Amino acid sequence: MIYLDYAASTPVDPAIIDAMSAAMAAPGNYANPSSTHSEGRQSIDLISAAAERLAALVNTSPDRLIWTSGATESDNLAIFGAATYRQDRGRHLVSMRTEHKAVTDPFATLAKRGFEVTWVDPEPDGRVDLGKLESVLRDDTQLVSIMHVNNETGIIQDIGGIGALCRDRGILYHVDAAQSCGKLPIDLDALPVDLMSMTAHKFYGPKGTGALYIADRKGVHVDPMLFGGGQQRRLRPGTLPTQQIVGFGETAAIAAQRMNQDLAHLRALRDRFWAGIRDLPGLVVNGSLEHGFPGILNVSAEGVEGESLLLALEPLCVATGSACNSKSQEPSYVLRALGRSDELAQSAIRFSFGRPTTDAEIDAAVELYRGAVTRLRQLAPVAA
Amino acid sequence: MSPDPYSDRVRELFARPGHAGVLEGNCSAAVVDQGVKIRLTAHVRDGRVEAMAFLAYGCPHVIAAAEAACAELEGRSAVELLEFPATGLMQSLSVPVEKTGRILVLEDAVRSLGRVITEMD
Repeated sequence: MIYLDYAASTPVDPAIIDAMSAAMAAPGNYANPSSTHSEGRQSIDLISAAAERLAALVNTSPDRLIWTSGATESDNLAIFGAATYRQDRGRHLVSMRTEHKAVTDPFATLAKRGFEVTWVDPEPDGRVDLGKLESVLRDDTQLVSIMHVNNETGIIQDIGGIGALCRDRGILYHVDAAQSCGKLPIDLDALPVDLMSMTAHKFYGPKGTGALYIADRKGVHVDPMLFGGGQQRRLRPGTLPTQQIVGFGETAAIAAQRMNQDLAHLRALRDRFWAGIRDLPGLVVNGSLEHGFPGILNVSAEGVEGESLLLALEPLCVATGSACNSKSQEPSYVLRALGRSDELAQSAIRFSFGRPTTDAEIDAAVELYRGAVTRLRQLAPVAA
Repeated sequence: MSPDPYSDRVRELFARPGHAGVLEGNCSAAVVDQGVKIRLTAHVRDGRVEAMAFLAYGCPHVIAAAEAACAELEGRSAVELLEFPATGLMQSLSVPVEKTGRILVLEDAVRSLGRVITEMD
């Protein structure tokens, strides 16, 4: 098995497993972090330390972070929470069709509830044109949500530029950073970003834990979606999962130390892989090598059927689209939004690389991909 | 672990399609539908298929079904091709219900080949 699906999820770093195990095993750590007795205070100390570590990774204050179950919940809380809190200001929302379903589905739901949603079309490489974005912003626009790194193509959006457009107009800007947190430098103290969704399992942390950053700025607030306790300023009540949050904190601390080294490693892997396959005719990069996160390379192959390609690539573990969509036979809506035909979108494979990926694995993946594409093209009628 | 979407037989036929290719001659039929492309070619003698080959663009079940159909139909008459039902292949290959339309494209191609052979006689 060669795992090249790190954009879907990553193996948990052994140091993080150790930290989580210790958080569960140490006497007293089982106590409810909301309790005021000594054991409870011990648990909340662990959570506070984790918040310090995550805050340091993205350069913000720990009290700006709300713990959630993952990026999907963070996205939902940010979008529903901000839209309802600010609906008196306006009911116009802006996003892109290339966003993750955790963003597009909440927007589609809000549209059914009387909000108006404008979807900005991406440029051919997937980036948003700031002029086009500016042209759709209105006096009653109250929220823009555009992700940092696209989960299918790896394209990196100019979140500083987008945020500046929003801030000039008093519009809230939400960023889904599920694919970038811990992988690319993020300075929330400097960025004009109001809400940011993060998750641990995309960068070697545990599943089941995420966070939402809420800027300390007038007018930036979300209505809660859950009710039933006073935890986390009533914005996200519920008993905090100490060991998960400790794991997220450790994940952040390791990422902060390794980010430059990880990025150099990913770039070398991506370039090695692309150099190995680029001479095959009829390949189309979905996204951009220049403007993409180096951990993701999405490639379509003309004349090759995607499901057969995926089977022919075994034992390679890759994705035909978003992992959340992988059981669907439908071509990726993200790639369709980039203008790809159904056939080309359906032939797309997302290769995503990670810390443990080796040159030998890349070379084996190159050989498998070349062989599979060549065989399936030989099998296909040129014109039926 | 959730069940493998492909049976062992589908995997075997997909990995080693011995009938993949093109046979030179006049007997050929092609169908494009449902995102599937199939081309069948055959050598025919005395109204019977001596050899059959396929080219296919489609999912693994389509490729496996095309391979199985070629193997099964060698030695058959044009009339048998005209009446070829894909239901047996769907069952033997455990084709999921959402893909039955694709296997029916293969059925169309086989019957089309049967018509070509009949018209040659």
